[in-house]
Amino acid sequence: MPSEAPPFGSPPASVRADAARPAEETAHAARIRGARGRRRGSGQRLPRAERLAPYVLVAPAVLIIAGLRLYPLALGVNFSFTGDGDRNGQAVGWDNYATLFADPLFVESMRNVGLLVLLLPVAVAIPGILATFVYLRVPGHRVYRSVYFFPAVLSPVIIGAIFNLLLAFDGPANALLGAAGLGPVDWLGDPGVAIYAVVAVHIWATFGMALVVFLAGFATLDTSLIDAARVDGASLPLVIRHVIVPGLSRTIQFVVVTTMIGMLTSMFGLLYVMTGGGPEGSTYLPEYYIWFQQGQMSRPALASAASTVLFGVMLAVGLLQLAILRRSGRED
Amino acid sequence: MKRRALWSTALIAPLALYGCGSAAEPGSSGGGGEGALVVWDWKSGDATAESYIEAAKADFAERHPDVEVEFVAQPFDQYYNLLGTAIQSGEGPDVMLFNGGGQLRDRADALLPLEDLLAEDMDRLAGWEAFSADGHVYAAPVTLQGHPVYYNKALYEQAGLDPEAPPATWDAFLDNCDAIAEATGADCFAMGNKEGYGIQFFLSGLGSGTLTPQEYDDWIAGDRDWNAPGVKRIFELWVETEQAGLNNDGVNSTAMFNDEFALFDAGEAAHVIGLMSDVGHWKEFGEFIGAENVGVMPAPVASPGAAPSLPYDGGIGYGVAEWTDDPELAADLVRSLTSTAALEAFYADAGAIAADTTIDASGAGPAAAAIVAQIPTGKPALHVALSAETLELMGRLSQQLLSGSVTVDDALAQLAESDQAG
Repeated sequence: MPSEAPPFGSPPASVRADAARPAEETAHAARIRGARGRRRGSGQRLPRAERLAPYVLVAPAVLIIAGLRLYPLALGVNFSFTGDGDRNGQAVGWDNYATLFADPLFVESMRNVGLLVLLLPVAVAIPGILATFVYLRVPGHRVYRSVYFFPAVLSPVIIGAIFNLLLAFDGPANALLGAAGLGPVDWLGDPGVAIYAVVAVHIWATFGMALVVFLAGFATLDTSLIDAARVDGASLPLVIRHVIVPGLSRTIQFVVVTTMIGMLTSMFGLLYVMTGGGPEGSTYLPEYYIWFQQGQMSRPALASAASTVLFGVMLAVGLLQLAILRRSGRED
Repeated sequence: MKRRALWSTALIAPLALYGCGSAAEPGSSGGGGEGALVVWDWKSGDATAESYIEAAKADFAERHPDVEVEFVAQPFDQYYNLLGTAIQSGEGPDVMLFNGGGQLRDRADALLPLEDLLAEDMDRLAGWEAFSADGHVYAAPVTLQGHPVYYNKALYEQAGLDPEAPPATWDAFLDNCDAIAEATGADCFAMGNKEGYGIQFFLSGLGSGTLTPQEYDDWIAGDRDWNAPGVKRIFELWVETEQAGLNNDGVNSTAMFNDEFALFDAGEAAHVIGLMSDVGHWKEFGEFIGAENVGVMPAPVASPGAAPSLPYDGGIGYGVAEWTDDPELAADLVRSLTSTAALEAFYADAGAIAADTTIDASGAGPAAAAIVAQIPTGKPALHVALSAETLELMGRLSQQLLSGSVTVDDALAQLAESDQAG
């Protein structure tokens, strides 16, 4: 086996197989490089220590990934094919997965994942627009810059508790509506409203971080382009549409990816404090469902199955986003 | 290519062996080992439970001076998650605290049957049913937990009603609510169903007023007819009270702990179905509206043939893990934790109705005395007999019943199905 290894100093396989290039060209390049490598490898044999060095050097990382990530992952998947309660430890095949997809709560949680994906543009547009205003120096932009970031330093539990009070049926939000002559809304008690209320609070709580990323992106914008557009008489919407958005495309993509991950993986605290999955199970998300089945229903194997499904969804979403990033990287 | 195949095989091999694993390794053991016992609970960190723990420790130290006992107080909201992990790994505390009912029965596999070891305490303590499963006793009761209907005597007085003569029938109850709403503006019920607990308390608190004694006993015995007239009536009442505007606003977004109880504490609602021990109970209400104003009434009779009784069960109790090294020693610690001296301290300091029937409760005010007086004729609470799955479904359906997105018949059909499956 070691004789087949690339000689020390040649680029790692991932770099050699440059996926950004068209397949044919890549294969061709790899053939050339491979031939070159072989020629060099057969010509001058490296000392044994030097040949083993790359393996020794990557060993810690590989062992940590294999031992602390892949092995537990395999155990978890394995566990999802065993039973709960009386059938603890017995192989039950796909039973847990059948139970999952027959459970209206789990189906609701997956539907809510879809809803989050649909709401993603809103979650990205809000910090984007606000960052634009800060960048264009609207009056008071210095104050806004710090005020917008403020919620990002609060824990979800505190934010949830605050909004529990604000959105209570007899709370200030409904008092405002009442003063405006509108009827009260049961923000956290109406199944058609509650998920939007929680997502809105999540966006409020986290958009500060995205705003900072946007501001960093603005710092790289070429101001002369904006000045030129203005001189040519472009209105603000036109400047945003044709100068700012194209200039920030990489930043926007980055914010899309991080916001998506944030929405799918870190809303547990808010859900736990604000709705507990209710009303009528309308605010369940997969991670809340997993916690609920494991801890409250003592069905850890079913929870493992739900975790495996969530892992699959995250993997698909991640790969999709990676593909999009790669494609846009090629455009640059 | 060859190497990649090897890697893939290495990664996929564990998956191919699916179904061969089990979370709980047989034969492994945990706990404190020789001469030491570990207790898990969520109480020992409370200031109000300090004297109770001290009394129990002293009692145990007298009999086993050389055994060390360590109390580990876990946060309650994570307690069963942590316990579940301990049970999965087969390692954990020797003695652990449980809520009676489903939480204990779901985990009975991990516990030792105690009926032989605790035989002497059987008569002195009450509430064993909640800690029993399949004919075995798995924990000894510390407190009793139940669901009395509390009422605010001051509001009754303001409405010109006799606070010492609570309504005996549902119609009289509704008349009183109208009178109180007119005179004081207070709601009839303080109700919080955000977590789906409201329906559990409603079912148990008022169920003995709609189910006939036969229906009630069958329900507890596990022979549950969800279409029995008395059962259907209680769910109809759940919908009717909401539609008639008897509840506070926003029931589905009001948390029972503690927004619902806060409404009663503030005198904004005339009735609340509360607890007997720990929180949301006579002692807490008395601190806000005055102990003399806390009334306890039997469930109003809403169906002919019903015979109201106090719904109660063992509230919390200590069980022994099946992996403990010395079951008799651990059972002795459970006996100390349920000794009369310890429970007396718990009752006095924490405001719990203790499971020990020999304790004198007359000094704790009229509400506690009224509850204790009803214990001999009381019956297990209806919702405690249900599985955790059915309770969760009932919570969700109860929210749908209030918003009108499901009918009573539909809800009962789903509940019957879940109950039979479980």
